[in-house]
This record gives sequence, structure tokens and C-alpha cells, in this order.
Amino acid sequence: MTPTFQQAVRTALKDAQLQTALDRGTTRSYNARLVAMAETTDAAALRRQARLARERALNRLPELLEELERNVIANGGHVLWARDAHELNQHVIALCKQHGVRRVIKGKSMVTEESELNHALEAEGIEVTESDLGEFIIQLAGERPSHIIAPMLHKTKEATARLLHEKLGMPLTDEPEAMTRFVRGVMRQKYLEADMGISGVNFAIAETGTIVTVENEGNNRLSISAPRVHVAVMGIEKVIATWEDFAVLVQLLARSATGQRLSVYNNLISGPRRPGEPDGPEHFYLIIMDNGRGRIFGTEYTESLACIRCGACLNACPVYQNIGGHAYGWVYPGPIGSIISPLLLGPTRAPALPYASSLCGACQAACPVEIAIPDLLLKLRRDLVQAGDPSLGWRVGMRVWAWMFRSPRLYRWGGKLAAWLTRLLADRAGRVRRLPPPFNGWTESRDFPVFGAPSFRERYAKRLREAQHADGVNGAH
Amino acid sequence: MPFSEAEMPERLPVTRLAPDEDLKARFVSEAERVRAHVHCVPDAQAALATLRALLTTLQAQRAVVWDEAHLPVRGVVALLDALGIARVEGDNHAVATADVGITGADAALATTGTLVLASGRGRPRMASLLVPVHIALLTEDRIVPRLEDYIAAQRAQGLRVFRTSSNVTLISGSSRTSDIEMHPVFGVHGPLALHIVLIENLRGEMPAA
Ligand code: SF4
Repeated sequence: MTPTFQQAVRTALKDAQLQTALDRGTTRSYNARLVAMAETTDAAALRRQARLARERALNRLPELLEELERNVIANGGHVLWARDAHELNQHVIALCKQHGVRRVIKGKSMVTEESELNHALEAEGIEVTESDLGEFIIQLAGERPSHIIAPMLHKTKEATARLLHEKLGMPLTDEPEAMTRFVRGVMRQKYLEADMGISGVNFAIAETGTIVTVENEGNNRLSISAPRVHVAVMGIEKVIATWEDFAVLVQLLARSATGQRLSVYNNLISGPRRPGEPDGPEHFYLIIMDNGRGRIFGTEYTESLACIRCGACLNACPVYQNIGGHAYGWVYPGPIGSIISPLLLGPTRAPALPYASSLCGACQAACPVEIAIPDLLLKLRRDLVQAGDPSLGWRVGMRVWAWMFRSPRLYRWGGKLAAWLTRLLADRAGRVRRLPPPFNGWTESRDFPVFGAPSFRERYAKRLREAQHADGVNGAH
Repeated sequence: MPFSEAEMPERLPVTRLAPDEDLKARFVSEAERVRAHVHCVPDAQAALATLRALLTTLQAQRAVVWDEAHLPVRGVVALLDALGIARVEGDNHAVATADVGITGADAALATTGTLVLASGRGRPRMASLLVPVHIALLTEDRIVPRLEDYIAAQRAQGLRVFRTSSNVTLISGSSRTSDIEMHPVFGVHGPLALHIVLIENLRGEMPAA
């Protein structure tokens, strides 16, 4: 049985290796983004532009998808539509059969994580190799990615070295350089042997039918250039209108994701190899998948479809920084995952996620397309409460809370009582380590602060009195 | 429509660039920042001399090369022959045995240190991809300030290149990864090293892809 969110969090917090890896990884990326955004012409104006580019695309989503399809076909490619993850996998399997494919090499794609394509292909006897360094190591370990752009962020270099040593006989080392070189050697042969390359899509530019993959390693370009068949898979929301929109989005993506000015390789792919071209795939297929996105489109959650998957909100999130990606339980972790996982899977499959946030707003401040993540989380919480059947305790509790907050006298009285109680429960260092039920949930993973004295209301009343007094004195002049 | 149509503010380029800034100097410093090796040479003859020196140092034996018509200097093939370097082409397995790839460059973007390469007849993708070392021959007149300018130039030509080349690639430095603890490592699956021979006093007469 898969663990609940709370269980997964507890495990993650106790995992010392994970904590080290998270500290190293999220701090580096967080700082890199700050520096890279600060050196632009005007970070705020650029984020607005990027946001508007995404809004324009979503406003015309159906038309743009049709325009994209027409232009991909004009470039000599094929377009297939998938209503859901299952259909996506069926399309790929059918293409493998049609082209006699036995080995597949894959560039990074979150959509195929959604559909668990690797399992589906392996069940058909087709060998699948992930070519991105991080994805490859995750695949070796039999794990799932824990970050949108840094899939093995949860792994320390020591654990990586041990894995490569055990599975592939790499001499032990703690140098990332040596490990990288070793994997490069392993992967060379895979590119040459593969019959089909599968990639994700970062942007699909409707006006010329071009798909863009953004990467640093070169594995993606190799995976889509060396085999005879290239299959690119995308969610319906990836389409954008123009090349000018691409220019701003791709640069903010690189800066927000890794702090680079541009990623090392931006592969702009327009169909298969053209007549006369000496290399490149003979066949190009673009599979466009809905898988729940159409249900989000047009609702108050539409802006979650503007996400360009840069991962900045993950790195900025104090919750993600502490629990890592796996605890979120599905493909998309972090703040944006807490929104799209329940929306794509249905609210009951990920009920804890909208609550996995302190609503501090660090995610929204980091987001290059200005997604109002805390607002969306609150709306999801509202939906959960409205749809669910809250427990008796919850209902009574909320009633009592509402009743107390409606009466100034009760409110003051309750505040005094609470302040007195926290002082009573505090340890010598002035912290409340354990609250009595029903409040003990709070202190399971954090302290509760002791109420300050005098209270705000007392201080405010005193100030008011003094001000009135001063006024009175002044007035006598 | 999910969003109200907002008035589009004037587009702002992403990167800063002083009005009097030297594009070549900026390109060189940005490219070196992302671990490309830039060799500035005054003319075609010096470019061939630099190429010869690089190939000799690498002890190259087999090369994947763009057709000479797509390179900005003549004499590359003769140079390879003189050095006894075989040209490999065709099948990926054959190309994989090459120890160097030599290409031209359709454009360069100064503020990001980027090369733009379009695929086409006589322009194998693999020359910039499946080789341990990629050498690009670039003429200075191909340097534009930013990605935005390159796109504006393509727009002026009806975006033709994006309809006719199956793969236009923007290459910014040496292949790299940050997957292990976000620690940057250079030389992953793409070329381990990128050399750019930047030719100052030459107009690139390459035909379009
Ligand atoms: S929500 Fe924003 S910050 Fe988070 S991954 Fe998406 S684009 Fe990046």
C-alpha cells in the first residue's frame, strides 16, 4: 500500500541522506535563480510578459492546437491525439509495432511519467533506456524522479556512486565528473542501437509547427536525432502562439530553472529529416495528450496550465526543501504539484496536498509566469471541505471558532485563556513542545510559540488611551 | 476565453546590453563563461592555421564535416587531406567513430554566447553532436545582439528556416549537467569540448540551410 502523505513526510524528515541532498540541491538552485533574474533588463516586466504570452496561448488553446497540427503535418510529421495516459501508451506501442522497434531511448518527459510509459513498453518486450543522466540513475535505482528538472535531487553523490558501482561496476569515486563520464560511456552505444527516440516538449510553436526541447546534456538531441523514429509527447497546454513569445519564455525558463542565460541545447524540431538532409529521423510523430487538462481549462484553476515546469517554486518552498519530491506521492511535486496532482487525478486521490503549504508565498514570488499558487491552494482546500464530509470534530470545532470570533468579548476572553495556557505549558526555553489534544497535531512536527504579553489588544488599548490623553493636553493650548 | 485580453506592453529584451557595447567582445566573454573555447583570428588564412593546430593537438584521425559550401572558409577539405584525416559520413555507427566535428554557424547571439546551427543538405547534425570535440567556424558578421534579434531576422524572412530545416539548434557552450547535487559538470552526452574559431574580417558567404 502506498503510504499516506503524513507517513511519507515522517519518513522523509528522518532520512538524513535525503536531508543533506535537499539542502545542497535546493539552496544552489534557489540562489542561482535569484542572481540570474536580477541581471535581466527588468525581472518584473519580463515575468509579466511571460505571463501574458501564456495567457494568450491559453485563450486560444483550441485554435492554436489545430494550427500546430496543420503545420506539423506541413513539415512532414504526423499528429496523434490522446485523451488520457492509457491512449498515449497505446499510440506509442502501436508505433513501435508499425516500425519494428525493439529498443527505445528516451529524453526527459514528465508526460510519460504521468502515463508510466516505460512500464507499458517493457510489458510489450520493448527495451527502454532513459538518457538524461539523472533519469538514467533513477531508472537504475527503480525509483521515481523527485524534482521536475533535477530528477535525482534526493540522491547524494555518495549514494549515486554506490549505485553505479553495484549495478554497472563503476570504480567507486565521489567525483561527479568521473560518474558523469562513466555514464556517458555506457550511453553511447544505446543511442546507436535505439530504433526510436522519445522526447518531451517544452514549447510547441503553433505558427511553424515546431516543437522545442530544452536541455543541457545533449542526450535529448541525440535521442531525437540518432534513431530512425522520433516521437515527441506533450500535454495540450504546451502550445504557444509565436516565436517572439518563445524568446521570452525560453530565457525565463533557463534563468528560473538553473540560473543559466540559456540552456546549453535548445532543439527546435520541425518534422522529420528533410529530403537531402544527411541525418535525423525518417519519421516524426507528435502525440498531444489531454489526461485531465481539458477539465481544468476554463475553470478558476486555468492558470495552473500556464506552468512552464521550471521547478523554481519547488526550490523556493520551505515544505519541499524539507520533505523532497517523493512525499508528494505522484509525478509533480512541490507547490505546483500540490495543485495539478489533485486537479489531474481527482481531489480524493491527493487530499493532503493542498494543505502541504504554509501559504508563505515564496512559490508565487519565484514563478516566472506569476501563477497565484497560494490562492489556488486555498481554493482547492475550499473545494475539499465543500465536497467532503468533514468529521464531527471538525464541524463542531469550526462552529465554536466562528462563534468565538463573532463576539469581541469571547474573543478577548479566549485570547487571555490561550495566552495563560501557553505560558503554563511552556518549557524553560519558552517554547511549547507539546499541546494537549485536539491541538497536538500542531506540535507533532513543530513547536508552538508562547503568546506575547501584554497582548496586542492590551497594548493597542493602552496606546489609544495615551494618544487620547496627549490630544487632551494639546487641545488645552 | 479564460483570461481577459490584456493590452500587450512593449516587448522588452531579456538581456542587458549597453548601446555602444562591442558585440564581438560580449559574445566571446559569454561563450567562454559557458566553457566554449573561442579563438579569434583575423582572416580565413589564420582560421585554417588555427584549425590545423587544433586538429594536430587533438591527434584527430576521423572527422565529420559540413560540406565546404556551408563553411565560411575554403580549404578545409584540403587541410584534412593534408593531415591524413579521413572524412566520415552516412551511417551513425560510422559517424560515431569520428573524433572531431567541423561545422559553420548560421548566427551567434552575443548576450548568451550562443551558436545557431540549422540542419540541411550538406549539414549533418551529428557534426555538432555525436563527436567528442566540436569545432565551429563563425564569421563576425553573423553575431547578432540577442535571441530576440535572431528571431526578428527570421520573422523578416517569413520564418522560413523553421519550416525548411528539420532541426535548428541553439548551442550555448559545452554540454553539461547539474543532476548530481546541482553540481555543474561539463561534457556529458554532447561534445566534451566546443571550439569556436571566430573570424573577424570575413563576410560569411554560406548559402542558407
Ligand atoms: S508553477 Fe511557476 S515556478 Fe512552479 S514550476 Fe511552474 S512555472 Fe515554475
